[in-house]
Amino acid sequence: MALRELSSLEKSLGLKKPNKYSTQGDKKVPVLQSNNGPSLTGLVTIATHLVREANRPELLGSTAEQRAVVQQWLEYRVTKLDNCPKEEIKTILQDLNQYLEDKVYMAGDTFTLADTLMYYGIHRIMVDLAVQEKEKHANVSRWFDHVQHYPGVRHHLPLLVVLRNRLYTSGHH
Amino acid sequence: MKLFVSEGNPHCVKVLAAVELTGVKCDISHVNQDEQVVPHLSRPSLPALLLPSGLHLFIPNAICRYLFEVSGQEVSDQSNQWLEWEGTELQPPLMQALHMSALQGKGAEAAGTLQGPLSFLERSLNKRATQFLTSEEVTVADIVLWAALYPFLSDSSFMAGDLGQVRAWFERVGQLEACRSAAQAVLKGKGLEALKGYLQKQPVPHIQHRGAQPCN
Repeated sequence: MALRELSSLEKSLGLKKPNKYSTQGDKKVPVLQSNNGPSLTGLVTIATHLVREANRPELLGSTAEQRAVVQQWLEYRVTKLDNCPKEEIKTILQDLNQYLEDKVYMAGDTFTLADTLMYYGIHRIMVDLAVQEKEKHANVSRWFDHVQHYPGVRHHLPLLVVLRNRLYTSGHH
Repeated sequence: MKLFVSEGNPHCVKVLAAVELTGVKCDISHVNQDEQVVPHLSRPSLPALLLPSGLHLFIPNAICRYLFEVSGQEVSDQSNQWLEWEGTELQPPLMQALHMSALQGKGAEAAGTLQGPLSFLERSLNKRATQFLTSEEVTVADIVLWAALYPFLSDSSFMAGDLGQVRAWFERVGQLEACRSAAQAVLKGKGLEALKGYLQKQPVPHIQHRGAQPCN
């Protein structure tokens, strides 16, 4: 799973030559193999490295504060969202919904790597969410829909209908 | 900037050490562990750093990383890798071990739980050629790992296999005044005992089975 995410990320960053990966341990943690230096282990570490390699530093945040917020959500993704017990999903959605109330993207007004990895991580939760649940967490749904339509992000994941209104409004134009 | 910490909360050791070591100016506010500091989280979450923009950082490693970055120390790929390892591979068994050891008196089982990550750390330290984890200088990675392991490694009776390299590294980092005073501020020299109140209020750590499936 993590390997597919990294390959989608490589494509969206426009990295020409694909990197070599392997996985480590029961949890299949991704490892980036390198010819000229030590290998790198971990989804967040590798994703951050790829963004730097692609020379897209703005995706990691443009100020020290924004960079901190981006890193915080990246860590949230791998420590809280991944492998969360079922009974935690409600709390996570509720907290995210509250957080996203006044934000377009995870780190404010601009799209960052935090959006990409949070989107990849939450996709499997959104797939199973009933319509009422999606409506109840309207800010999460709005953000999710925004990110899945962001150019070059979705790649390996199926498009989800999260906002019913989107379908209706498109008919009025 | 304002940093909120609470006594007896093991996650506060690393952020206090990072503040002192980097010398970044921020008000430190000692609050009750139940205090709701971060408005968008439904459960109390400490430590928390209130940024000038009004946003909060509520993940301890993100706070440490930010403090190092604003003091002019860029976080390398290697340090990033250690921070991610600490969050994903060390914290889950560590919280479980703290729970067993401080609340259930199962010290030996706790040591067993930590054996995997500690021997990984031992092997990594064996392979490296530098004084500290990633360089000749202390970085954010050393502070984060040192603080996480402090409740166990500061106890000389703690046994979990051959940890010669880990112990020597732990000693070296622990010589920093910033580390000593942070540990004192949170644990008050009482070791695991000091963490009881905090641990009692946490949900029983989710035991991670081998090959555990994601939640759906």
